[in-house]
Amino acid sequence: MEERVHALLEEAIQAIQSADSTAQLEEVETRYLGRKGRVTELLRSLPTLPPEQRPRFGQLLNTVKAQLQEQVEQRRAELQRREREERLRAERVDITLPARPLRVGLKHPLTQTMERVRAALIGLGFEFVDSPELDDYRYNFGALNYPDDHPAMDEQMSFYISDTRLLRTQTTSVQGRVMEKRKPPFRIAVIGRCFRNETVDATHHHTFHQVDAFMVDRGISMADLKGVLAAFARQMFGEDVQVRFRPDFFPFVEPGVDYAIYWQGGWLELGGAGLIHPNILRAHGIDPQKWTGFAFGLGIERIPMIQYQIDDLRLFLENDLRFLQRYGA
Amino acid sequence: MRVPIEWLKEYVDVQASPEELAHRLTMAGLEVEAIEHDEGEPVLNVKVTPNRGDCLSMVGVAREVAALYGLPLRHPMPSARSDEPGDAAQYAHIQIIDEDLCPRYAARVVRNVRIAPSPEWMQKRLTLAGMRPINNVVDVTNYVMLELGQPLHAFDLDLLPGGQIVVRRAKSGERIVTLDGIERELQPEMLMICDATHPVAVAGVMGGGETEVTPNTRRVLLESAHFNPTSIRRTSQRLQLSTEASYRFERVVDPGGVVSALDRACELLQQIGAGEPVSGVVDVYPRPAQERTVTLRPERCNLLLGLNLDAQTMVDCLRRLQLKAELRDGVIHVTVPTFRPDLNIEEDLAEEVGRVYGYENIPERLPFGHTHRGGDSPDTRLIRPLQEAFVRAGLIEVHTHTLRAPGPLDDPARTPVRVRNAASEELSTLRNSLIPSLMDVVVHNLARRQTEIFLFEVGRVFRVLPDGDYEETLKAGFAITGSVFPPGWDARYPAADFFTAKGIVQTLLETVGVDEALYVPASDPRFHPGRSARVLVGEREVGIFGELHPDILEKLDIARRTVLAGEFDVYTLWSLATRRVRYVPLPRYPAVLRDLAVVAPEDLPYQQVEQTVRQAGGDLLESVRLFDVYRGERIPEGTRSLALSLTFRSRERTLTDDEVDQIVGRIVQALEGIGAKLRA
Repeated sequence: MEERVHALLEEAIQAIQSADSTAQLEEVETRYLGRKGRVTELLRSLPTLPPEQRPRFGQLLNTVKAQLQEQVEQRRAELQRREREERLRAERVDITLPARPLRVGLKHPLTQTMERVRAALIGLGFEFVDSPELDDYRYNFGALNYPDDHPAMDEQMSFYISDTRLLRTQTTSVQGRVMEKRKPPFRIAVIGRCFRNETVDATHHHTFHQVDAFMVDRGISMADLKGVLAAFARQMFGEDVQVRFRPDFFPFVEPGVDYAIYWQGGWLELGGAGLIHPNILRAHGIDPQKWTGFAFGLGIERIPMIQYQIDDLRLFLENDLRFLQRYGA
Repeated sequence: MRVPIEWLKEYVDVQASPEELAHRLTMAGLEVEAIEHDEGEPVLNVKVTPNRGDCLSMVGVAREVAALYGLPLRHPMPSARSDEPGDAAQYAHIQIIDEDLCPRYAARVVRNVRIAPSPEWMQKRLTLAGMRPINNVVDVTNYVMLELGQPLHAFDLDLLPGGQIVVRRAKSGERIVTLDGIERELQPEMLMICDATHPVAVAGVMGGGETEVTPNTRRVLLESAHFNPTSIRRTSQRLQLSTEASYRFERVVDPGGVVSALDRACELLQQIGAGEPVSGVVDVYPRPAQERTVTLRPERCNLLLGLNLDAQTMVDCLRRLQLKAELRDGVIHVTVPTFRPDLNIEEDLAEEVGRVYGYENIPERLPFGHTHRGGDSPDTRLIRPLQEAFVRAGLIEVHTHTLRAPGPLDDPARTPVRVRNAASEELSTLRNSLIPSLMDVVVHNLARRQTEIFLFEVGRVFRVLPDGDYEETLKAGFAITGSVFPPGWDARYPAADFFTAKGIVQTLLETVGVDEALYVPASDPRFHPGRSARVLVGEREVGIFGELHPDILEKLDIARRTVLAGEFDVYTLWSLATRRVRYVPLPRYPAVLRDLAVVAPEDLPYQQVEQTVRQAGGDLLESVRLFDVYRGERIPEGTRSLALSLTFRSRERTLTDDEVDQIVGRIVQALEGIGAKLRA
């Protein structure tokens, strides 16, 4: 009897080891350990044995059963691993084939730049306001201390809608609108589209975007202007930039300057700035002896043109998808 | 302005290299745009700001150079000076009628004129400065203008009857043939130099052909005058005639230099043997300009510049600019010479101090005092969420032109705003809709073989209101053409259609927080009549979208594409937002699902079917989802089958099948009421 059991064990182990797939292994398992399997049958025949043999024999059979079960599990794990590997091998793809394209939305490079400009100025305490593109002559020129028919307007040829309405040539037009309503101290900024009636080429356009910021407070000086411009420029272009002033003329500031930043080995002109002309403050009931302020502006297009070395201003409004997809985000 | 350095050195001994000089001038506000080398001579190309008319001459630039380098200025002092009328009064008779436009008019006379080419040195300087030599007399007038900034004009005295000069406004109907040979019609506001009867020169702009200096000229009347800048500017603009003279007069010429320029010209004419000046000058100057005094408080100067200079340094800076500055009782008194009309207020003087002292010495400082809370503008707060919604929907943002030609895609319901002085049709109106310019971009990109074009813009549009006023408002628009998903190498997708566009519209509405919108057929010539919708929220129309009309696509030469476009009013949209974000617990009880297929007439809008289902379904009907639309042989012609998936759920308990069956029964009944039957 004991020999028979050992022989069965040998035979079953042999069968388990030679099973070549999980399916075959299952068959083997059923053949020996299933409900009608041979080990099960032997166990079931225990009661037919003489009583004194039963305990020993029972123990032996249980050991064999446990041993076989362990063998089956081991083999199953092996086979499963092999089969998974085979499946994975079969599922292999050519990973060098092109990707399935996604439809990715993007913001226009000008929008991104405007968002960065806004973030930088908001961080410096400036409150953005809205101002119309179709503006009054009075705000665009009159309130900004432009004398009638002055050559300063030559650089600001306008698109006129009527005798008194025009498309703003500069976002500075917001100054008068704000000063009519508010009392200092304030820090205001506006960003948006401007128009000048001039010939279009790689560096000039009849439609472009500007940001203007101005503040009025007690004791504001050219040094404050320089400090704010430097903080702004550093946020836009990096920590190592320097700011330089050069005298220039705009009717709405005195002194008036052009400012440039030193960036990657050269001076880049960014825009105009200065201390708000006392005539403007006085015209809005602000006493220039008590309050002073500065204003500065710059072209939005100039920033991505500098950063990406874009050499043609026209690209921004042409909206070629290949351009937008390169610089959009 | 072109400044030959060799000429400049006649007035100031500057030793610096052209590059160094150019930098120094630029940093002091006289921008040198380029250093040109003409026949080996360095010439500075200087851009003079409109407030500094005094720098439109060699002496003017030399004055700046002298100030910057602390060098003496050598002003050309004419020897043939004549402050008395002398003999000149016998030859020239001057009358100023319109004193407001001509505060000063002076003349000298030259006899025995021998017209010939001017000497080589003078021709060379004129050429380097960008002027063409003509003859000795004309060249001297130009030379003095370049040297001192005062434009001069030479008349053939024998062609002025009685040596008579009358300065007056033109009479209507008067005409003049200017030196360039063009006959010009004059308007009553234009200032003219006339003889006893008619105009012989456009004051400050250009002389007339009739009295021009010719090889036969024997006697010359030299004119030097001061004109009203605004008047000269308007005349020059109206005649579309800008000259070296008008350019200078517009920017204010020194009224005090009128006579010395004449004297200098006479000196030169004599020197080069072009003629013999008659002694004396006729100078009509009824109200001579007075030198002004402007004061500068040193502490104010330091406050403005952010510097800490002592008063004496300020005085030195101002004196270097040839200004008479004196410190008295702690205040700097500056006598402003007539050649600096731009210096009027304390701030102007502070700028001069800063310029000479050097702006590079101004420190950086951040303003202190009040704390200010910055923030986005109200419009930005409306625009940005919409931009982000479009980007999430996979669209690319564009910024398109505001100025454009009127076209078939303009919004027919909005009167366009016209530009009065547009140079071309392309710039003649302000957009009244975003769709036309979005379509420009679509066409542009299709022409460049892009096939997947999904664009949006949030921007300002304009119209004329019924009362004649102008409206500027914000629109959010999109235009799309291509497949539903971008095509790859292993899959093709159907073309984007009305329902793709509707998906974009819904993303937009959800972003804003509009929960319920009604889609009604649009009848708008821009769109396909059967594939476009007006979107209503409550009673208000918020926008329109759909497939563009094939006629329009044909006009754009893209007839084979399907293009969807739409446009929404940003302010209206946000004003109708109803959703408020608040917490609702996730459901705790299971849902019961039922599918329902109903056969309905083709012309019964789905929206009505869904509304009927929802009404009949009541609170326990959680959602309705359409998952199939079938037309075909198995159902009657003229009908379609709509397959709906209904989800029922209670917040308080588990629903029983019986309950749900009862509700479904009511739904079926309600559907029958609108002509939709349960599919057998």
